[in-house]
Amino acid sequence: MTFDPMQARLNRRHVLGGAAGLMAAGLPSRLFAAGDKPTLVTSIRSLSNPYHAVWKVGADAFAKKVGLPNVTLVTEANSEKGIADIRAIIAKTGGNMVLNVDPNNTPDARPIVEACAQAKVYVVSWWNKPADLHPWDFNPYYIAHIEFDGVTNGGYITDELFKAMGGEGGFVALGGMISDSAAIDRRKGMMASLGKTPKIKLLDFQTADWQSQKAFDITSSWLTRFGDQIKGIWAANDDMGTGALEALRAQGLAGKVPIVGIDGIKAAVEAVKAGEFVCTVTSDPYWQGGIGLSMGLQASQGKFDPAKEPKLHREFNAKTVKITRENVDDYIKTEVQSHPDIDWSNLWDRVASPIAYS
Amino acid sequence: MPTLETTRAAAGAVARRPADADARPPARRYRWRGRLAEVAPLIVLVALCLCIGALSPAFFSVRNAIWGVGNQAAIPLILAMGATPIIVMGSIDLSVEGVLSVGAMIVVLLCTNDSNAHDLGWWGPLLAVTACTGLGLVNGLVHVGLRIPSFMATLGLWFVGLGIGTVALGGSAVRVLDPRIRAVAFERVLTFPMAVWIATAAFLLALLLERRTRFGRYIYAIGGGEDIALLSGVPVKRVRILAFTVAGFFTGLAAVVAAAQLGQANTTIADGRLFTTVTAVVVGGTALTGGSGGVVNSLIGVLIVAVLANGMVLLGISPYVHEAVQGLMIIAAVALSIRRGGSLVIK
Repeated sequence: MTFDPMQARLNRRHVLGGAAGLMAAGLPSRLFAAGDKPTLVTSIRSLSNPYHAVWKVGADAFAKKVGLPNVTLVTEANSEKGIADIRAIIAKTGGNMVLNVDPNNTPDARPIVEACAQAKVYVVSWWNKPADLHPWDFNPYYIAHIEFDGVTNGGYITDELFKAMGGEGGFVALGGMISDSAAIDRRKGMMASLGKTPKIKLLDFQTADWQSQKAFDITSSWLTRFGDQIKGIWAANDDMGTGALEALRAQGLAGKVPIVGIDGIKAAVEAVKAGEFVCTVTSDPYWQGGIGLSMGLQASQGKFDPAKEPKLHREFNAKTVKITRENVDDYIKTEVQSHPDIDWSNLWDRVASPIAYS
Repeated sequence: MPTLETTRAAAGAVARRPADADARPPARRYRWRGRLAEVAPLIVLVALCLCIGALSPAFFSVRNAIWGVGNQAAIPLILAMGATPIIVMGSIDLSVEGVLSVGAMIVVLLCTNDSNAHDLGWWGPLLAVTACTGLGLVNGLVHVGLRIPSFMATLGLWFVGLGIGTVALGGSAVRVLDPRIRAVAFERVLTFPMAVWIATAAFLLALLLERRTRFGRYIYAIGGGEDIALLSGVPVKRVRILAFTVAGFFTGLAAVVAAAQLGQANTTIADGRLFTTVTAVVVGGTALTGGSGGVVNSLIGVLIVAVLANGMVLLGISPYVHEAVQGLMIIAAVALSIRRGGSLVIK
């Protein structure tokens, strides 16, 4: 039998590899994760709001499916912390990671994307980025920026509310925080629909800062001011909508005055089922948490080249899920009581429209 | 020891005549200005009601008195009952929002809800009030035992409370499905919802504590001059701990009403409560420097804040100018009620 150097080297590699494996088994899993497997990193605002809490559930579900380590960073509404944490995890993983980020504030997107591109980290961003920053400026690492069109959603729920009101009468509207861009867009959509419906009158518009309790108090006062002139209540998010609903309930009016909201929180979905809400709209944070990581992972594995994708796939408004009386039972079955089995490899099936910057 | 004797006599004099309407702190020299300062919050409240009523007749309707003002003032009033003794003492309790969210969380997680299988009914509210009282006790112990200013001690507990809420609720809103709990806010007795009666009971309890107990008088002694109170034999440490514990109790009560009213709890249920509470207490004429004011002032303060919020909506004032108007009203109310003659330094 002749001596085969190639074979010997392979054997030695196996032995070394086995030894390394044994050593690694004794080390904290954190260090082990820095090996070949990329880390899936999510950066969101906090875990104390339902929206981002579900986002993390989606991210965890995706990570479990692909069997990769998974880290969630929270900014706690602090931009510096958000950016510093992302830089730290890039350094820790040596760039062997993908990032799905909801930047805390509009200007934050640029330093985050720059840090990622420099370390060759694939990144997907949501909601906030400067108008002059585009994914194609950082090919191929900045895969996509995704938003949801507040004007369309605000208009959609308004139309549904007007239908439920029978096309006439007065309604009141609860807006989000005045300076918030989502609040501004949703109101814009509402005003546009209102302009098309001359028989319907907006009795009053107040802001309840996205909060249930404030909405409760304002609605209580509205009921004494307008009484049964109120034929419908428009809320820029579900939390305020449910606050308004409880104020109605206190005075025995729940279910008699239709309410609409946005976000698809559990209480609102149940209210749709009970006939107290007309509809709600959700961006499906569960999907957001998984799909952003899936895009990054597939790009880093060379399954597609972001630079070759059309611009509509790089910067777009995604489709929302609308929950009305018709589909609420199915929705509760698949989305509330369990989590849906989403095909994470289908990256572009929710592309709706290009983002318009005014 | 003539000095000590005198101060003790002075403290005793106040302590012995608790409910006497003519009991005036000896330091009051600016007679009519003092008198004006005393009734200023009431004047502001009446003027506010008249103005809003004149512009919007709906203001004086029974429906508005019940739902627009009474029901909206209930939770702030309960919270103010806890905050008042502490502010009279010259301290501050910033932990309101954290403690309230822990209390609301306990209520919803223990009654029939849409998140777990518990069905403990009245144990929920009971345990919530107990837990909040316990957190108040922790506030007092940390503040007194470790000699940390109340500002920092309670700031810390605020975030501890929010943290506990976040972990337990996992960020989602949990809904109350037990009709008995909802009845705490909505059951009507003599046309007023239960929440209003609970707030009234809280007010009477706080009034009793302030006017009829040694604790109530010690609070003023500490707020007026802690060193003198200490020399006079007031158990300052014990009173301080007790005051924070009482505040925790009232916050717990408010948590039960809040959870019952909204039918759900999430970590943000208490957002903005601290600001309204402190505003109401101060607008009512209780000075942040301590030693003056009381729960009756706070009742008027809470009503001013509630009437103002209600009036904004009734008058249809644009939300874009709401906060500015609210801020101006607060400055006006405080400017009228503050006693400028008494202190040399304004910090």
